[in-house]
Amino acid sequence: MAGGGGGLELPERQRRGKKHSKRKKKKRLGFRIDMTPMVDIVFLLLTFFMYTTTMVTPQVMEISVPKEVEENVEVNQANLFTLYVRGDGKLFFSMGADEPQPLGIGELRAKAVELNLLRKNKLITAFKPSPDAPYGVIVQVLDILNQAEAEIIRQLRAEGLKRERKFAFVKLSPEEVEKLKGL
Amino acid sequence: MPKIKKKRLGFVIDMTPMVDVTFLLLTFFMFTAKFKTEAEAEQKFVIKRPYASADTSKLPDKDIAIIKVGIDTLTGDTSYYYTIVNEIQRRQVYDNLNLTAEQRKPQVKVSLDLLDQLIMQTRITGPRTRFAIDGDRRVRYKWIEDAIDVLRKNNATAFNFVTEKRQ
Repeated sequence: MAGGGGGLELPERQRRGKKHSKRKKKKRLGFRIDMTPMVDIVFLLLTFFMYTTTMVTPQVMEISVPKEVEENVEVNQANLFTLYVRGDGKLFFSMGADEPQPLGIGELRAKAVELNLLRKNKLITAFKPSPDAPYGVIVQVLDILNQAEAEIIRQLRAEGLKRERKFAFVKLSPEEVEKLKGL
Repeated sequence: MPKIKKKRLGFVIDMTPMVDVTFLLLTFFMFTAKFKTEAEAEQKFVIKRPYASADTSKLPDKDIAIIKVGIDTLTGDTSYYYTIVNEIQRRQVYDNLNLTAEQRKPQVKVSLDLLDQLIMQTRITGPRTRFAIDGDRRVRYKWIEDAIDVLRKNNATAFNFVTEKRQ
């Protein structure tokens, strides 16, 4: 910095100038502290903190599972909506005892809303992810179902009904694994 | 005449507004910076969290135990890691289980068996401790399912999946 060196120097006249109000004003105007070193360091720190901070804070998805009781609950097959996730991450669904049919992940939300509104609170969603399916897909499906839930609650409230969600994680049986492989 | 000379010599750009803004940004970044915990600093894996839509609930930093399912960056092996955030509780749990000095780290690499024992002791020493499963989105669901089964076995039926906001 060629011209910045004079920042701290106070002209001799400054101190004397205090007595004369006219002069004083002029000198105060020209008074400058050389901020360059400070700015250098501040920028260094700023870039350091900017590069090291991560803006994404992890969030959580609440999950609850039933207690471990070896007791089978009777379920009306007609109200059972089963959602499968195959090992390769592909999605299938079936109503009751029907054969599983493929379902695009983009159609899931509309499907969940449609079926829930059709059967009101009676619909039971059984989620059967394959042990080989990537965990990311499972969370994605749960997330979509949670989004659909908001829509269902809104629609049911409009009809004067209180939403009771019936959702369960169910383990895939070996026969079902085989069946899904063939689809 | 002397005026002109003075100007040339003391030629300075007024940096005050820039410095103001810079300081503001600096303080912002300094206050929001969160440093790695001891456990995170020594782990050999980076968890790529599954994406979920924006949610208001954040991961609590008190009274929580985290089950991590991570893929080692070097070997590519998947394994469970367990962290109890509360230090006093952690020491208690480790004492109760008579863990070896090598295992007494803030974050232990565990087998499913040890995970079971650790969770049980965590439940005993702090009944209000919440559990979170922090899994990599690439792992097979089997790993998560097994962890859930262990949690269920220990009567911890409400827990959290740690996710990341979809951009």
